[in-house]
Amino acid sequence: MFRIALKGIVGRKARLILTSLAVILGTSFLAGTSVFSDTLTRTFDNLFSDVFKNVDAYVRSSQVIEADFGLEERQRISIDLVSVVENVPGVRDASPDVQAFARIIGKDGKPLGSDGQGPPTFGSIGEEFAGALWSVAEGKWATASNEVVIDEASAKAGKYVVGDTVKVVAQSGSREFTLVGIASYGDVRSPGGATFALFDSATASEFLTKPGFIDAILVSGDGSVSDTKLAAAIQAALPTTAKTETLTGAQITLETQDQIGSALDFFGILLQTFSFIALGVGCFVIYNVFSISAAQRQRENALLRAIGASRKQVTRAMLIESVAVGLVGSTIGLVAGIGLSKGLSALLKALNIDIPSGGLVVKQDTIFSTIVIGLVVTVLSAILPARRAGKVPPLAAMRATALEIAEPGRKRLYGGFLSIALGVAIISAVVAGANNSYLGFGILFVFIGTIVLGPIIARPVALFLGRPAARFRGITGVMARQNSARNPKRTSRTASPVLIGVALVTAVTALAASIKGQINDVFTEQFKGDYAVTTNNQFTGGLSPSLALDLNKLPEVDKASGIGLITVKLNNNGQYFTTIDPGTVEGVFDLGLINAKYSDLTPNSIFLAESYSLRKNLPIGSNVTITLGDATQRELTVRGLYKFDELAGNFVVNRAMIANSAVVNFDIGVYILAKNGVPDGEVQAALDKAVKKYGQGELLSKDEYIDKQSGQVNQLLGLIYGLLMLSIIIAFVGIIITLLLSVFERQRELALLRAVGMTRSQVRTTVRWESVITSLLGAVLGIILGIGLGWVIVFALKDQGLTSFKLPVVPTIVIMVMSFIVGLFAAIYPAWRATRVNILDALNTN
Amino acid sequence: MTPQTLAVAASTISASKIYGSGEDAVYALNDVSVAFYEGQFTAIMGPSGSGKSTLMHCIAGLDELTKGSAIIDGVDLSTMKDKGLTELRREKIGFVFQSFNLVPTLTANENIRLPLMLGNDKGDEAWIQNVINTVHLQDRLTHRPSELSGGQQQRVAVARALASKPRIIFADEPTGNLDSTTGAEILSFMRKAVDELGQTIVMVTHDPVAAAYADRIIFLADGKVVNEMTEPTAAKVLDLMKTLGN
Ligand SMILES: Nc1ncnc2c1ncn2[C@@H]1O[C@H](COP(=O)(O)OP(=O)(O)OP(=O)(O)O)[C@@H](O)[C@H]1O
Ligand SMILES: [Mg+2]
Repeated sequence: MFRIALKGIVGRKARLILTSLAVILGTSFLAGTSVFSDTLTRTFDNLFSDVFKNVDAYVRSSQVIEADFGLEERQRISIDLVSVVENVPGVRDASPDVQAFARIIGKDGKPLGSDGQGPPTFGSIGEEFAGALWSVAEGKWATASNEVVIDEASAKAGKYVVGDTVKVVAQSGSREFTLVGIASYGDVRSPGGATFALFDSATASEFLTKPGFIDAILVSGDGSVSDTKLAAAIQAALPTTAKTETLTGAQITLETQDQIGSALDFFGILLQTFSFIALGVGCFVIYNVFSISAAQRQRENALLRAIGASRKQVTRAMLIESVAVGLVGSTIGLVAGIGLSKGLSALLKALNIDIPSGGLVVKQDTIFSTIVIGLVVTVLSAILPARRAGKVPPLAAMRATALEIAEPGRKRLYGGFLSIALGVAIISAVVAGANNSYLGFGILFVFIGTIVLGPIIARPVALFLGRPAARFRGITGVMARQNSARNPKRTSRTASPVLIGVALVTAVTALAASIKGQINDVFTEQFKGDYAVTTNNQFTGGLSPSLALDLNKLPEVDKASGIGLITVKLNNNGQYFTTIDPGTVEGVFDLGLINAKYSDLTPNSIFLAESYSLRKNLPIGSNVTITLGDATQRELTVRGLYKFDELAGNFVVNRAMIANSAVVNFDIGVYILAKNGVPDGEVQAALDKAVKKYGQGELLSKDEYIDKQSGQVNQLLGLIYGLLMLSIIIAFVGIIITLLLSVFERQRELALLRAVGMTRSQVRTTVRWESVITSLLGAVLGIILGIGLGWVIVFALKDQGLTSFKLPVVPTIVIMVMSFIVGLFAAIYPAWRATRVNILDALNTN
Repeated sequence: MTPQTLAVAASTISASKIYGSGEDAVYALNDVSVAFYEGQFTAIMGPSGSGKSTLMHCIAGLDELTKGSAIIDGVDLSTMKDKGLTELRREKIGFVFQSFNLVPTLTANENIRLPLMLGNDKGDEAWIQNVINTVHLQDRLTHRPSELSGGQQQRVAVARALASKPRIIFADEPTGNLDSTTGAEILSFMRKAVDELGQTIVMVTHDPVAAAYADRIIFLADGKVVNEMTEPTAAKVLDLMKTLGN
């Protein structure tokens, strides 16, 4: 039997290739994404082990506030500590370190680097230091308060040469410097695509942070003691009041790598999740191909049975074939995946994200798991078709099997409906108040039910969808319609991958539409100004607080009010507090205050969201104690409650509270109300001029601003679409494979049609419309399921503040059109093959 | 009737079909010149491998001659491209094959009208009804091939071949797969089509009884025309086959 199986494989190379194709695609995405994320992780590991390569000890503040999104705000230390460290025995050299927001402004007035989305823009210290990684490529280090050095990549991008005047924006405002040098970072022009402005330590401290403060001290030892001892000695030498901690070089490297690692892990998990979804979709294709080939070999198998092969032997022969396909497919998939990850790296490079090259990381795990998963998935997908092949009655050898009329069984009907009913029941229960975590099961049951019912639904739906084709395309349309309905099991198996892909795309789109709608509503309700100045740089920096004050002074402006965000420790938890200016906020930003006035918010007061106040039992008049980023404590009295907490969060304080502290203070936005009667053009011109002076911030009209807020969802949406493409590609290839197999199977029929006068272009039309109908079948069911799924997810996020479901009408139409186009494209090759059928050969073979 | 008084529907002139080359060359047709006359029922006979199907395929535009020419309705097929040949088959030729004659997804009615529909042609409705009546298919029109018996399927095929009023109909062993009664039924339909509807039919067959339905028989052997017979009977055919066999 083994010999027969092998003969079967070799004898039908085309089928082997087609079956393997699905396995290859599925496993290549799997291998590709894991090689890519491993490579990325190692690249960054290397990058950060390089950063502290020559650092033996690292001194920083022990005061830190950790908040949501894994962000932390660490307190700064005094620059005076550097000289203390320098005098510790065993220290060769100590250098202050600052890493803060700074933006280099190009000669055209536009800031270099991307605002918030791409690699960060940094200001740092560039000085002669034993452990330094920056080296001067041209010119010299900055030594005076009016001198700056920038990285090579930025110099190139900004067309700056030594001697030019360079404008840089930092927390303290913008300033012009003379460019005295251009620096390179190891062998890279700039690390990770970030931009760097480098100053001497005094200037960096004063311009980038707060005068007299730095982020850390980098220490290079003289080699007389171990790093651990050196770190301990330094820590002992520093006064306890300085609240410092000293790490060894190895410790800080590890910590940085861990931080990056967990961010990359998240990315990696995202990639893997979607490649597993794609592989799952691939299973359908593999299953489909095996089913079709079992059907096509029915007579052959029946003949084997008739001459004495047992059921088991027939089944086993097919399983052996699946093992071969699985092995070959996943091995090719692995190789293709490595190529794919190389492509991804090239893509990053094209996007100007210059990662130091270190070659691809192909772990043994990746090789092993790709091949094992590919093999297991293939064999599992082949089990049912193989068993069915074994069940073929020997009599079937005598029957012609031109038309496989398989009436979908009753069991299928009941099973499918039961599964859907169960799923709907679970979802209804959750809607009625049961635990949200059951939703997943509800969705799963509905999906399974729909796919089980697929062969039953396929025929009527395909016939319905094929109606226009039959009507307007004449006999070719009629035949396409009949062909797509002639084998409902096959059609539904082909459409299922499309269904899953489209359902996910639709659900994500519906979710995004709902989120965007909500954002739109919230901003429309709470943002009352005419203009806004924003920056995308909300975490590494923001707008200078003085911008709001400047804008407020303009004669065209009625009011301009800055809104900021600070990290604060409350009950030992990091929290974001919104800072406002009570004097100007009224009329530009509405908190929905309850029985309070903005003027009640003195520097010692706090406003709380109504819901938070109720939950935590903090009524008006109660006190809360908070710790600021500079480790000082404040006692604040609750003076007011507000309704609108979607933007402001749970806490609102007066910006004056932090005015004289070392707390980093940026505005994330300035909201502006124009003076009545001043023409729009004039207001805009005046604002534009004032904002330009800062070299940072984007001036937007009310509508633009609101659009932009909801537009941010599009970025995430884009990423998820991109990842879902993997599944769509597999679904697409699935259609191609099925069509090819069908064309192969219908050779005689095609030959007959050609003989009685069907032209090649009519043959193409027939295959094309069959493909379109199949694709649309998946799309229609997918959209229905996807909208349901989207609704359910939106419902599940009710507690997260998502209150209204929005139907994505336009995207749904786009998805339909795309599915139509996918159908057209999938048909190109199979249709061409169909026109190449040799009439005489096909007529002569029986 | 003498051939001289009849118009030629299709003919070959020095037609040769050669497979392979050099020493291995197989002459499926070797310098064949024949004519098929309008309004006649012609049968082609000969031993297996003698080139009957090849001759038919080449005249019907399904295959190309290596040498010589095949002419239908005054047009030399070798001058035509795939598109022209396809149209020719659709409009001027009807086919009946031994088996697998029908498109399984279409009903009997759709199968009958298939060549017309492919050409976006409504056809002559009265004629089509006449054809359907002649082959007794009135109450089977909405059935699909899988719901028809072998004989009924062949009748549908004959009706399809007639529906577009082609210049000539080619049938390759149309009764080869049928029992003798059903076969006889089909053959008398074909005879009727010639006598009553004025059609031209060329039929390949091995069966002397079937051949006896024809007006004229052409005998092939080793790719050559070796004999001809008019107004045949089964007995005459058997006798001739015996002499040819020796
Ligand atoms: N594609 C081909 N390649 C090589 N030789 C071929 C090919 N097709 C046909 N032949 C040869 O041409 C000759 C004529 O074949 P043809 O099919 O016309 O015979 P036939 O008279 O129809 O026989 P039968 O009664 O068995 O149907 C045969 O010897 C056959 O082997
Ligand atoms: Mg033959």
